[in-house]
Amino acid sequence: MSGPILHTKNITMRFGGLMAVDQVQLKVFKNDLVGIIGPNGAGKTTVFNMITGIYTPSAGEIILQDKNINNERAYTISKLGVARTFQNIRLFKDLSVIDNIRLAGHQKLTYSGISSILRTKNFKEQEEKLTEKAIKLLKIFKLEDKKDFLARNLPYGKQRRLEIARALATDPKLLLLDEPAAGMNPKETRELSDLIIWLRDYFKIAILLIEHDMGLVMNVCERIYVLDYGKLIAEGNPSEIQNNPKVIEAYLGTSEVD
Amino acid sequence: MDYLAHLTLNCGIFIILAVSLNLINGMAGQFSLGHAGFWAIGAYTGAAFSTFAPLPIPDWMNLLVGCGVGGISASIAGVLIGIPCLRLRGDYLAIATLGFSEIIRLIIINMDVVGGPRGFTNIPKWANLGWVYLWVVITILVISNLMKGTHGRAIISIREDEIAAESLGINTFKYKLLAFVVGSGFAGVAGALFAYSQQFIHPNGFNFLWSVIILLMIILGGLGSITGAVVGAIILTLLPEVLRLMGPTISEWRMVIYSLLLILLMLWRPQGIFGKHEFKIFSLIKRLKT
Ligand SMILES: Nc1ncnc2c1ncn2[C@@H]1O[C@H](COP(=O)(O)OP(=O)(O)O)[C@@H](O)[C@H]1O
Ligand SMILES: [Mg+2]
Repeated sequence: MSGPILHTKNITMRFGGLMAVDQVQLKVFKNDLVGIIGPNGAGKTTVFNMITGIYTPSAGEIILQDKNINNERAYTISKLGVARTFQNIRLFKDLSVIDNIRLAGHQKLTYSGISSILRTKNFKEQEEKLTEKAIKLLKIFKLEDKKDFLARNLPYGKQRRLEIARALATDPKLLLLDEPAAGMNPKETRELSDLIIWLRDYFKIAILLIEHDMGLVMNVCERIYVLDYGKLIAEGNPSEIQNNPKVIEAYLGTSEVD
Repeated sequence: MDYLAHLTLNCGIFIILAVSLNLINGMAGQFSLGHAGFWAIGAYTGAAFSTFAPLPIPDWMNLLVGCGVGGISASIAGVLIGIPCLRLRGDYLAIATLGFSEIIRLIIINMDVVGGPRGFTNIPKWANLGWVYLWVVITILVISNLMKGTHGRAIISIREDEIAAESLGINTFKYKLLAFVVGSGFAGVAGALFAYSQQFIHPNGFNFLWSVIILLMIILGGLGSITGAVVGAIILTLLPEVLRLMGPTISEWRMVIYSLLLILLMLWRPQGIFGKHEFKIFSLIKRLKT
């Protein structure tokens, strides 16, 4: 067996005097389905922002397939096979649904700006393939009938799904989902749980997800990390986590468990 | 007739300027206020080429080479100014580009070889209406085709959400620079065409007020719409003439009238006449049929 595809070695993020993330150690292996939970403000999103190159860790190392990516820019990390969604959906709202997906295929296209201007055969072929691939992906997410809608006109749950589809269009090895069920009703959440497991198997990727919906996390994740005030306080499978006194205290100790 | 031809020609020049600025401001969402600077660079390098180093070839070929000289010079300036400035955000970029274009103007004023404060005179008349509109068509075709491919989508993604774009593997800096270089290049071509049709250019003809007017054109038409840029350019080129017909007092209040117009537009249609959309003749016909 090979090592983890993602390994964060004691990563730390300071914002002025605030330790948003304090020496957190995560490992994600091939085909893993791992969750990160923790009260609001625990530093979960900040961990994602460090992994995806939006923030550079104040200390520690992020190792992606044996390569230190601490100082890589976000677009390079995408090229290396990490894709993500955002807690506050960041779709290209004024572009069509299908263009949101097509945009994410950018890395795979090799034609030059000149061949786009001259509409060369190479340009047309690559664009055709891109569109086919985008439609296939939209079908998986049951969004193909909405392909020409502006992203902003989709209902909330579909926007969340489109954002996942867009992330997958970059052909990632590791997919990071930041509160994918936020704002969804129980039925949508259940469908999403099944979809996440199915995606992991179909695309043969590892998924690391942040979620507040305990039902979803316990159902879907094989391993769970618990963060509180920036620190990792527990790690284990769903039943271990549910019975861990530190976790129970972290959750009971905060007034807000949303 | 001469007057109408002159107006039509000016419309063409401003269409090129507006469509090219729209690539930077409307498509990439980078707030540049320095378009007059690139226009000036194109005009002066184009004029210098025609006066000091014309090639022994027919005029129309020299015109094309001259447009190339103007366009490429402006593009190079675009790279030089873009690399440091495009890392700035919003207002800072606007201030930096505005400063750049004023510096260009001051440099020209202090360069005797191109006429300095007296202006550049006796430029050969290489361009006419036909040539200007050929370049209008080229500009629109190049930019609209570019926008339909992955380079164009990458440029738009910067306007839409820079963080999301980066997280999808788009090197946003590279595509900001691409928009900037192509946009300033066409402004340079507009400059050369301007020089070859007016035969006289003056540094104050490229002051920052013109950057503002070109910006108004694209805001009026709808930031992000090529059709809008064309329509905005035509309206704001013709408007001062219409105001002139209404008497000298009204004409003097031109900028005030522009401002009022803009305020009205913001109230009535903040996204501009066309919003981010293009006028598509085929979809219009389809809609009329059904
Ligand atoms: N860019 C930033 N600047 C300053 N503080 C930040 C920044 N991003 C996050 N924080 C702070 O870091 C802490 C962790 O935030 P976050 O990672 O968003 O928490 P979570 O996703 O677990 O709810 C919070 O206290 C938050 O206010
Ligand atoms: Mg969060």
